[in-house]
Amino acid sequence: MKELVSVLDGSTFVLSDVQGDIDWSPDYPSGLFAGDTRFLSKWVLTIEGERLTPLSIDDLQYYESRFFLVPGEPTHYVDAKTSVIRHRIVGGGFEERLTVLNHRDEPAVLSLRMEVASDFANLFDARDGHSRTGQSTRTVEDGRLRLCHRRGRHVVETVVSSTEPAEVDEDGFTFRVHLDVHGQWSTTFHAACLMRGADGGDAGERPRGNLPERPDRRRELVRWMAAAPQLTADSDVLEDTYRRSLIDLAALQYFGIAPEEKVTATGLPWYMTVFGRHSLITGYQTLAFLPHLARNALWILALLQGGRLDDFRDEEPGKILHEIRYREPGGFEEQPRSLYYGAADTTPLFVILLDEYEQWTGDAETVRQFEFEARAALTWLDTYGDLMGDGYLWYERRSPKGLENQCWKDSPEAITYADGRLPTHPRATCELQGYKYDAKMRAARLAREFWNDPRYADRLVREAEALKVRFNRDFWIEEGGYYALALDGEGNQVDALASNMGHLLWSGILDEDRAEQVVRHLFGDRLFSGWGVRSLARGQGRYNPVGYHNGAVWPFDNSLIALGLRRYGFEEEAARLALTMFEACRYFDGRLPEAFAGYDRKLTRYPVQYPRACSPFCSSAGTPLALLQALLGLEPHEGHLTIVPAVPEQLGRIELVGVPGRWGRIDAFGHGRLRLAADE
Amino acid sequence: MGSPTDEFFASLEERGPELLPTRARGTIRFDLVEDGRVGHWFVAINRGNVLVSHEKRAADCVVSTEKRLFDEFATGAAHLITAYNRNDVSVQGNLPLLLVFRRTFPSPPGTRDPRERVRARLGGRTGPGRLRTRSPARMERQETQQ
Repeated sequence: MKELVSVLDGSTFVLSDVQGDIDWSPDYPSGLFAGDTRFLSKWVLTIEGERLTPLSIDDLQYYESRFFLVPGEPTHYVDAKTSVIRHRIVGGGFEERLTVLNHRDEPAVLSLRMEVASDFANLFDARDGHSRTGQSTRTVEDGRLRLCHRRGRHVVETVVSSTEPAEVDEDGFTFRVHLDVHGQWSTTFHAACLMRGADGGDAGERPRGNLPERPDRRRELVRWMAAAPQLTADSDVLEDTYRRSLIDLAALQYFGIAPEEKVTATGLPWYMTVFGRHSLITGYQTLAFLPHLARNALWILALLQGGRLDDFRDEEPGKILHEIRYREPGGFEEQPRSLYYGAADTTPLFVILLDEYEQWTGDAETVRQFEFEARAALTWLDTYGDLMGDGYLWYERRSPKGLENQCWKDSPEAITYADGRLPTHPRATCELQGYKYDAKMRAARLAREFWNDPRYADRLVREAEALKVRFNRDFWIEEGGYYALALDGEGNQVDALASNMGHLLWSGILDEDRAEQVVRHLFGDRLFSGWGVRSLARGQGRYNPVGYHNGAVWPFDNSLIALGLRRYGFEEEAARLALTMFEACRYFDGRLPEAFAGYDRKLTRYPVQYPRACSPFCSSAGTPLALLQALLGLEPHEGHLTIVPAVPEQLGRIELVGVPGRWGRIDAFGHGRLRLAADE
Repeated sequence: MGSPTDEFFASLEERGPELLPTRARGTIRFDLVEDGRVGHWFVAINRGNVLVSHEKRAADCVVSTEKRLFDEFATGAAHLITAYNRNDVSVQGNLPLLLVFRRTFPSPPGTRDPRERVRARLGGRTGPGRLRTRSPARMERQETQQ
């Protein structure tokens, strides 16, 4: 696959090739995107009619990068007479400073051309190659090029200008550049991404063309890094990965539909918007580090909680959002994307995070503030969530364009029997029952301590305990010694061996005396790849090492499993999983992708990229943080922070200074004393 | 009978407290254009209680659209946020307040309870105690033993 360079700020990003050019590509959506719309689909620089060749690329910050280039094919540039620097920045709009350097002992005149176009595709069209509805125009005015797309009242525009005068035509900018001996020339391009509101003005809160001042953004990032605990470790990979994770989480912050708080975008390039599940999980993973991420996730999801029955959106009262999309993808509903609720896990996860957030931060005000939404979520669990009326949490899509699977494994073939057959609907996956149990247990604490409703608390505990008993009876597969992946519409066990049961440890729904058997499966060679736990075990009918949910290794999945292992006292196994994941980080320059291939470690020796995986991806950036939490054994406990480190020898010393919480700031130290059993 | 918009606002004071979080607080004015004239609906929300009037007063959030389209929101046939994304609705001021207010709009006409749909399809094979709780492997073995 072609190498791509990304520059990113929240939901605005540029994907280009290594020359810095944006050009049509069949396998990747290159372009300038803001709010799910492509504002530039062509941005190609030539000098004397020739494309350029990269010498090097500097990723200065997540929102800016610099390309060093020379004209011509690689074989020609040994003695380049000209070089070019493209320095680009994004944030709302896009800016590129172009500098041309003359290395000759004589003056030169060069013709320089920037080809510019936009198809205003939405992200899904860009991915699927669909053609567009609506009308497009290009206009040259006052030395600027205005590209415009109109569909009904929906108007989007890209206005491109250059600080140096140019000959502007409908396809781009041409410059005659006069260079002195060893001289240089530069110009700065601005591309403003505009969306006109119903009244003709630029629409209120949505992305505009204005770039925040650069020094402000640098300061903002410095503040962000300083707010998180400082990590010192013997392991360089640990330190680098930690830093990378914090920066990526910063890069994914953006002002979404509501301008009050920044929220976390999910993953570049496909999911640059809020997904309920991954916002909540990232919030959970980062509580010991950046607790406001959890607060903001709770805030936006409370705001967008389902309010009515709406089949097209798979919406029900009390249900927490699956995803939100803006602008054209959200406005013309070929698919139910503006607000889509097809997820059964988001609602219990909302309650779980609300409780966990309070345990870390002591922010009782937020728990009281969201009582209405939390109670609505709990009511949903027992009404619309319990489609079969038997106490379990089920899902079945109603939207013809909705998701067939509404758990984290939401691809159509992710939930299967061991032999590969697909189960009937509705479906109740095992981890959903764990979340439901955990949500009720936690809500009982909230009801007792903050909502002044001990009777409700007692009821929740009774229901949760009953659910646990039944779950351990109905989902346990005696012959295999593991939990069924799901129940099908007839109530039969869906018997594939999958990573989902790892979440049961995290939720606490597992019977203690079965935990060991589950752990043995998680680390058996069918599920464990050597880097992490595969989504589906080798040997299952639909297993495929590059199957999205049918064999790939998902970092966030592993992070929850690691926390679950600690919960059930499997310190060594948690340490082992954290170690192998950190070893994988080394191969991804500290940036774990959304998922990577499930090949055996012994076979490939390095973790293989999953094609088209998002990177950065919020809950993968959160994974190293959650793993650190697992290694150091950080837990809030009755207002205190308990620290029970279990660090493998290979990772050496870990010092995490300034863990924030209701205790103020506390330092956590761990020494690599744990000797792990040899692999084989 | 009035228009769907009239009925929507007429029942709002009664429906509001159940549908809106108690912390919701603020004012929204809907400016609805019909035949070149603008009609105003002023909604004051305070701790879940709702007061509706026709006053043209300054509000925390001002929503402008066509009356014809608002009639469709009022019956549940169209969706406010989708129309906003399409620029058929313009919003000035406090958008989060409007997102909270979204909870007061009804379901699309003809929407059924999803539980009834499932129960109708599965015909009684729902409810507690219906589970056979056998794994396919065990079922097979039992069959061969018989």
